[in-house]
Amino acid sequence: MSDVTIDKKLIGEEFDVIDIVVKQDEALTFARACGETHPRFTDPSHENFQIPPTMVAKFVGRKIMPEGLKGFFVGTFDAGKVVDIFAPIRPGDKLRASSKIADIYEKTGRSGPMTFVVHRMEFTNQNGVKVACVDWRMVRRTPLKAE
Amino acid sequence: MNLDLHSHSIKSDDGRAKVENYCEWIRKKELPLDGFVLTEHRQFDDESDYRNLEDEYGILILKASEVETDYGHVLIFGVNTDMRHAYDFGAINLSLDHVIEASERCGGMAVPCHPGRPNVGLAAHYHERGPVNSVTIIETRNGGSRAGEDEASIHLAEAYGYRGVGGSDAHLVSQIGKCATRFDTPIRNEADLVAALKNGDFEAVSCQT
Repeated sequence: MSDVTIDKKLIGEEFDVIDIVVKQDEALTFARACGETHPRFTDPSHENFQIPPTMVAKFVGRKIMPEGLKGFFVGTFDAGKVVDIFAPIRPGDKLRASSKIADIYEKTGRSGPMTFVVHRMEFTNQNGVKVACVDWRMVRRTPLKAE
Repeated sequence: MNLDLHSHSIKSDDGRAKVENYCEWIRKKELPLDGFVLTEHRQFDDESDYRNLEDEYGILILKASEVETDYGHVLIFGVNTDMRHAYDFGAINLSLDHVIEASERCGGMAVPCHPGRPNVGLAAHYHERGPVNSVTIIETRNGGSRAGEDEASIHLAEAYGYRGVGGSDAHLVSQIGKCATRFDTPIRNEADLVAALKNGDFEAVSCQT
């Protein structure tokens, strides 16, 4: 067992907020890197020009984890991201991204027991519209102690 | 009729398939499947209603669960409120003996799945701790098995006289229907499925190419 103790009361608590201005040149670079070919992602003159949906997954806050979970990172690896887009994000949009721990759970697999932490980053635009949500799962093979 | 008894949708933390996409895939690929059972990990999906999809695609969609025990993962069929009060579906170290006893007492059926898989299968735990007497059916065909795992499951079934069922363990759309269970009697709902399992009128089939 790990010596890291986890406090499940951390679930749902907002621990970081950042403001992001989406830049057009960054969006175009990201689109090219992803191999996007649709003009709505590659042509700024397109009437529906917007950033590629997965671009929100590249944004990180000032803190990746709340203080109470810092020890979790030892022996942790990335278990993938789920991106939900609720409305188009345009270059120039001012986004507010808030981070919280959405879930902490254990499961067993071929390699044995694992603990997952789900880091959720929700994006709201300058009009107060929720435009995106990124769930980032991190996993440790050894289960943590839960309080 | 053929039912895939083991599948996961996006309701499971590691599921990447939408239920409608399973239906589309089954019809597009003309799979020999009359329906499938959603066995979401460590939970029972109360909120989803797939009756419209059943009507649209002519495919039976049933709901069940996959829980985690001290002897590995177990499919729970015929889930009801009594059963969900009898044990914690979200726990990862349930007693297999208790899960089988409580499931049957509440009118359901518990079936250890992928028994040949390391750590989460029955065979490895039998080897270390001996058999659980209340087991009667195991999953002998699993679409996610690696080489040798289904063979170990079949060997276990033969050694202990268990009946075998099949399921794809699909987490992605293209995995649905890789394995299934052929029933001699029609299945229309979860109660029919439990009854057929108890009667023993079934066999595991592999549809892998």
